[in-house]
Amino acid sequence: MAKFKAMTQEWLDAYKAAIEADPEYKPMAKDWEGSVALVCNPDPSKGVPETIYIFMDYWHGDVGEFLVCDKAKAESATFVMTGDYSRWKQVALKELDSTKALLQGKLKMRGDLPYVVRNIKTVNKVIDILGNVDTLWPDEM
Amino acid sequence: MGYDSDLSFNYFGPTKIIFGVDSSKDVEIEMSSLGGTKAIVVTDKGIIDAGLLEHIKAALGNKCVGIYSDIPQDTGVEVVDAGAEYARKQGADIVISVGGGSVIDTAKCMCILLTEGGKLRDFNGIQLLTRPQIPHLVIPTTAGTGSEVTTAAVIMDKEMGQKRLLVENHNVPRLAILDPKMTAKLPKLLTAGTGMDAMTHAVEALHSIQHEPITDGLAVHAIRLLARHLPTCIENGSDLVARGQVQIAATLAGWAFGNALVGIVHAMAHSIGAIAHVPHGLANGILLAECMQFNIESCPESYALVAEAFGVRERGMDDMAAAEAAVESMRAFTKTIQLPQRLSEVNVKEADIEKAAELALGDGSIVNNPRFILDSSEVLGIFKNVL
Repeated sequence: MAKFKAMTQEWLDAYKAAIEADPEYKPMAKDWEGSVALVCNPDPSKGVPETIYIFMDYWHGDVGEFLVCDKAKAESATFVMTGDYSRWKQVALKELDSTKALLQGKLKMRGDLPYVVRNIKTVNKVIDILGNVDTLWPDEM
Repeated sequence: MGYDSDLSFNYFGPTKIIFGVDSSKDVEIEMSSLGGTKAIVVTDKGIIDAGLLEHIKAALGNKCVGIYSDIPQDTGVEVVDAGAEYARKQGADIVISVGGGSVIDTAKCMCILLTEGGKLRDFNGIQLLTRPQIPHLVIPTTAGTGSEVTTAAVIMDKEMGQKRLLVENHNVPRLAILDPKMTAKLPKLLTAGTGMDAMTHAVEALHSIQHEPITDGLAVHAIRLLARHLPTCIENGSDLVARGQVQIAATLAGWAFGNALVGIVHAMAHSIGAIAHVPHGLANGILLAECMQFNIESCPESYALVAEAFGVRERGMDDMAAAEAAVESMRAFTKTIQLPQRLSEVNVKEADIEKAAELALGDGSIVNNPRFILDSSEVLGIFKNVL
């Protein structure tokens, strides 16, 4: 199986395909409305020299644009989550619970918190699927 | 209480505590220690009418540049915006809150707007702040919310029809003055309700999926102090020893739940508060034992600690038997402190609980509950049992 470098367009394409292929995702996400941006703060010592902006569009179980993008596009998302590279890697590897990370300030989120909580099963599902994408992490290359 | 080998947590509790009878007279000294020169005092009309502000105003002298007292029982987004605008015009460089949870949470949010500018609805999210906010000194006049030491603020947003939860490590109060005299005039019902708010914080910190050894220790001692001293406060409100110990318990419970967070009791209390305007502490107190019963299979070890704090764990009792004793003790305790036992006693109607059950599922607290909740019908069942 091909491995994809984390937070690149190829990796995002593989992630989107994995979500679309998951039979449990669509019914679980039927109530979700709104795009999500992930902002990864730079960490040159771990192979992330610049901020990475990712935009992902989710709508009632369908997935739309999944893009590595610029800052303006990311900030247009309904939910914008920001964190250091190491934190994102911990979340992707399920070493860090995303809800706990938000409450402890390890990740920041702009957006409607009660909405995210109401749909926490959908959020956990997309994180689960991310764990299935064969990923090359920049600090391990 | 056992902990898994993968236990990991952050504990955050930077607020300095000043305790003692008449310690609130030192407000000017403590304000100066934080670098404050122009204080806006945030309070409510009940505090002013009770005469609790006089010695504070006298101590502050001309360092008090304004008093903002238009704060209702359940504060709102517009209340915060108006307060920040007033404080800005007065040139305040420190906020001093004198009051209960609604006043303290209003002041917390005013600190954000005074530092960052804008309106409260501009701050929609969690842990968004990147720098310390202007100093906030708290003098609680109730013993329950623990808000004097937490990063959270709860503010009603009428447009959303729901309370907004703000959680910001950069906005925790710098200093709290716990003066038992400031709570000595609290009437019985308010003493009971706010005391049960503290009790609920402690129990929920114990059963939260994010509980850890530090918060467990704080919570257990808070329960011990409340079990011993809250009934005394109900019998004799001017007992300053009991008042002081209950204040300390509320602060301990504040640190506990501020880190371990809370669960279903708060989710339900927030929702029924938003819909039927039940005071938060009363709602918590009425719901607590029933929610413990709901959770009991998921966290008997936690409730066994509650039983130990109440002194009802007998030798040879296993955790489940102790947990059952804890639930019964909690029911009996609410009767001892003369708390209303049913939501219908505080004007809640059948239609209210149906709406509240739906709303509770979207409350941030519910994700930390030890028993995973799949459907609003489970929440409705608890509401029905205490209606």
